[in-house]
Amino acid sequence: MAAKKWFLVVAAASLLFINAAPAPVSAASTPYESYNYNFWEESVPSPAAYVPSRSVSGADLGIGDFLEPSDMVVTESGLIYIVDTGNGRIVNVDEQWKVLGVISRFNNEGKEDTFKNPTGLFVDDEDNLYIADSDNGRIVVLTKEGELVRIIDQPQSEILAADFKFNPIKVTVDKAKRVFVVAKGVYEGIMQFDSNGEFIGYVGTNKVTRDYTEYIWRLLSTKAQKSQMVLFIPTEFSNIDIDAKGFVYATNIDPGSKEPVKRLNPSGEDVLKRFGYFDVKGDILFRRILGPSKLIDVKVLKNGMYSVLDANQGKIFTYNDEGDLLYVYGGKGNQLGTFKTPVAVESIGGNQLVLDRGKSNIVVFEPTKFGSRVNEAVGYHYNGDDQLAVPIWQEVLRLNSNYDIAYIGIGKSLLMEKRNGEALEYFKLGMDRENYSVAYKRYRREQMKEHFGTFMTVLLVIVAAWLAFKFVSSQRRKRMKPISGFASQKLKEGKTS
Amino acid sequence: MKQDFIKFPLHLIMHPFDGFWDLKYDGKGKARVALTILVLVVISVILRNQFAGFLVNFNDPRYLNSLTQLITIIFPFFLWCVSNWAITTLMDGEGKFKEIVMATGYALLPIVLTYIPMTIASRFMVKEETAFYYLVTSISTIWFIALLFVGMMTIHQFSATKTIIIMLLTVIVMGIIVFLGTLVLSMMQQIYEFIVNIYREIIFRT
Repeated sequence: MAAKKWFLVVAAASLLFINAAPAPVSAASTPYESYNYNFWEESVPSPAAYVPSRSVSGADLGIGDFLEPSDMVVTESGLIYIVDTGNGRIVNVDEQWKVLGVISRFNNEGKEDTFKNPTGLFVDDEDNLYIADSDNGRIVVLTKEGELVRIIDQPQSEILAADFKFNPIKVTVDKAKRVFVVAKGVYEGIMQFDSNGEFIGYVGTNKVTRDYTEYIWRLLSTKAQKSQMVLFIPTEFSNIDIDAKGFVYATNIDPGSKEPVKRLNPSGEDVLKRFGYFDVKGDILFRRILGPSKLIDVKVLKNGMYSVLDANQGKIFTYNDEGDLLYVYGGKGNQLGTFKTPVAVESIGGNQLVLDRGKSNIVVFEPTKFGSRVNEAVGYHYNGDDQLAVPIWQEVLRLNSNYDIAYIGIGKSLLMEKRNGEALEYFKLGMDRENYSVAYKRYRREQMKEHFGTFMTVLLVIVAAWLAFKFVSSQRRKRMKPISGFASQKLKEGKTS
Repeated sequence: MKQDFIKFPLHLIMHPFDGFWDLKYDGKGKARVALTILVLVVISVILRNQFAGFLVNFNDPRYLNSLTQLITIIFPFFLWCVSNWAITTLMDGEGKFKEIVMATGYALLPIVLTYIPMTIASRFMVKEETAFYYLVTSISTIWFIALLFVGMMTIHQFSATKTIIIMLLTVIVMGIIVFLGTLVLSMMQQIYEFIVNIYREIIFRT
């Protein structure tokens, strides 16, 4: 009986104890796991860089639900345009999520015209809207108010096949008003139009890589078998964006590619910096059944950073201008902050927006302390203010001591201040062998200059001591010689006799 | 002592034909010297993996294990000796097992002689100079293989072509031994399981 009572008391006390200490609810709890990759290509847990704050659907905006929206653009002035594909309309919203206008029809030479499956949008610096009206096979250029400027129609050119059907999916425009179009079924690259809408040519073809096992199979197979095999054609681009300097960022969805993100210069060469520990391709470790990342959107952020969207896992990967992975957020699921079929990523202010076609809504992500500090430090580093970045990197390291880029950032600043010995330690922590070598070269020279006197003195003393030893021993041998010679002779004689 | 452990091994690696002849016919080789060299190789490899300069050391320090390294050197060494002996006895080689061990052991000396100094030197190198480090370590490997070749040739009194064939065969036999070993091991495991199961059955039935 007494034992039972005791048991009850203990149980009650334990209940109390549990209630007294509730499960720690961290402010930055997320429905996805945050991680980054270290030098050894292992995924290491990391604090979340962005947390979901709210989701916005068409009904929330008071204009009826979106139907399969497929693109989203944020202008420099902070206006958000959403391409509501299924409803054939472009929705214009301001930063406070107040609807400013809905464009679903426009005046085409006196006739009323509509969109058919618009899938891509770009807003240039004069606030003109470039709409990839895919099923109508044209790009419609409208002013902000919805007045028609011009239409880019089916291109005419001898390099295009006779039965070519223009089916634009994504569009972007540079400062010179050249229009870059990703079109369906076009494997030659990104289609490029001049400011009058004339087709100029292609830029940035994806290369076909040879698969050697496939090659051997081909050698062994008959003609009939060969015709059954898939053709090797370059992959299509999935999305494009343009940065302030006029470089086109493009993604493709080639699953085996090591370079699914490209930064094309005006002559169409890929100039993306890939100085990180591993390829700029989203996840580097993944389960085989899930497959590698499928990058379907790219958004150029400020300070050379860019985010890419992985449709396969619903993750957003953000890289700095040198190709280091800064942070990863997002995932697949039903909670706020996870996606069904994410299609577009954008940034507004410090926040990031992700458009989810499956859920027909937009999720707003706010940076955490960690995320905003990283962004800040990357910005300072990009603009050459490495010294200003140091205290911020140190704060980042307090939040995440596994953050290699922060160590390298501090190391670079120390290197610039000629504190080579300290820089060495930081580069070693960040596993940056290139910069370590540079720092070590300077450090070694420094040390040699500093200790040259001592070194030479020691060396001279050693040489002198050695010479003295030689001299003394040779003197002794001279004295010993007649005796030893005699002894050996004696020995020899003894042997022969 | 000095003659056995220092002078003769150094003479052998510089003059291999002469050295291996003396090793076999003049009884100058000592098994304990060969085994000492083997131990030194293990030590120098462990030291290199642990202490080589940051620019040339791509080992993950969390997974460095001296015992594993010991096994990965000692085991192939004796595997080589056993399979070489097995092959050469069938193919009229003159070498005894002890001589094979000695020849292989002495041939490893260049690795000891280069790894330890290069480990120290690599700590003072910058990126451009690491090419030198790789050059020296690859020279020592080539030197080792050349010594092994001459050693096998002299120990067994083979012609050059036959030595090459024997060396390749030895590698194949090493593979066969490992294969058979795992086979036997897994079979033993199954037999053990079988007996244990029968024992359990009997215990439960009665």
